[in-house]
Amino acid sequence: MREGKIMKQIEVMKDLLADNKKLAKANRERLNSKVIFTINLLGSPGAGKTTLLERIIRQLKDEIQIAVIEGDLYTANDAERIEKEGVDVIQLNTKGICHLEANMIREAVAKLNLNKVDLLVIENVGNLVCTASYQLGEDIKITVLSVTEGSDKPIKYPLIFQNSEVVILNKLDLLKHTDFSMVKFNRDIKALREDIKVFEVSCTINQGIGELIDYLKQQVAERKFSNEPN
Amino acid sequence: MSQLFSIIDEYIINHKLSKVSKVVLTIGEMTCVEDSTLEYTFRLFARGTKVEDAELIIKKIEAVSECQYCGERYKINYTDKICPTCKKYNNNLISGDELLLARLEGEESNSEGIEK
Repeated sequence: MREGKIMKQIEVMKDLLADNKKLAKANRERLNSKVIFTINLLGSPGAGKTTLLERIIRQLKDEIQIAVIEGDLYTANDAERIEKEGVDVIQLNTKGICHLEANMIREAVAKLNLNKVDLLVIENVGNLVCTASYQLGEDIKITVLSVTEGSDKPIKYPLIFQNSEVVILNKLDLLKHTDFSMVKFNRDIKALREDIKVFEVSCTINQGIGELIDYLKQQVAERKFSNEPN
Repeated sequence: MSQLFSIIDEYIINHKLSKVSKVVLTIGEMTCVEDSTLEYTFRLFARGTKVEDAELIIKKIEAVSECQYCGERYKINYTDKICPTCKKYNNNLISGDELLLARLEGEESNSEGIEK
């Protein structure tokens, strides 16, 4: 038997992130149809995402209906904390995957009563790297950076800061104990994204939370009274 | 990586490939993929499959922005996005964030039932 080999060159041109992007778009459309403002909350482990979220919920829940999707590798610790604040929360465990993906969010959203949600916060896995690359269907990304992490982090992790509409600089009460340079931080962050909004906060001494709350209220209100999907 | 191999498998079936000799990826400068990790993981996934001996080629695409004020196209990086012509800041990436499987090369096995 004679075997002939034919060499083939095949043009493919397929986006490897296409599936996630497609699902993210579907998530976005679903949430838009229910007029829900959605935040993808990002930051390193220990930056203060969950504590910040607790503070936000406490101050906003009487005015705005909030739901939370918690993403962690393992445990339901964060969901339990959020549950104590009295809002609906779904815990996603990725079992080792370092970021949330759009298909996981689709499953979580299906479990929520979307008719009772104005603001959805997805607290992503603590990670400044891959979380930047996976769209989930959110309206905006908010990245939390604590002063103890160092003012060089925006330059070291440019993609996540470039893709965030808001950066929350947390643990301001500890600034005097670190060599964090506000000048360097502000210069670098604006070079990455000129229109990024910076909120300086401290959850421990309750500093700066008010301005953040006002911003969130404004985003939710604008979504509610606007007929244009974002 | 699993997405990549999913697509490759589809093409292996549709084009009746007996083996894949080349996998060409197009990756933008701003895509945040680390080359040596990608290569290493690729080899792990390829082991024991028709892609095992394939050469992995990574083609990098420059990050280019198009100024929304004057239309100038210019190279950018994370910290320098200012248009050289009108000196205004732009974040309008037209290339540089791709992650594509661009091309596959392989052998289509064509058995002829002739006995000699």
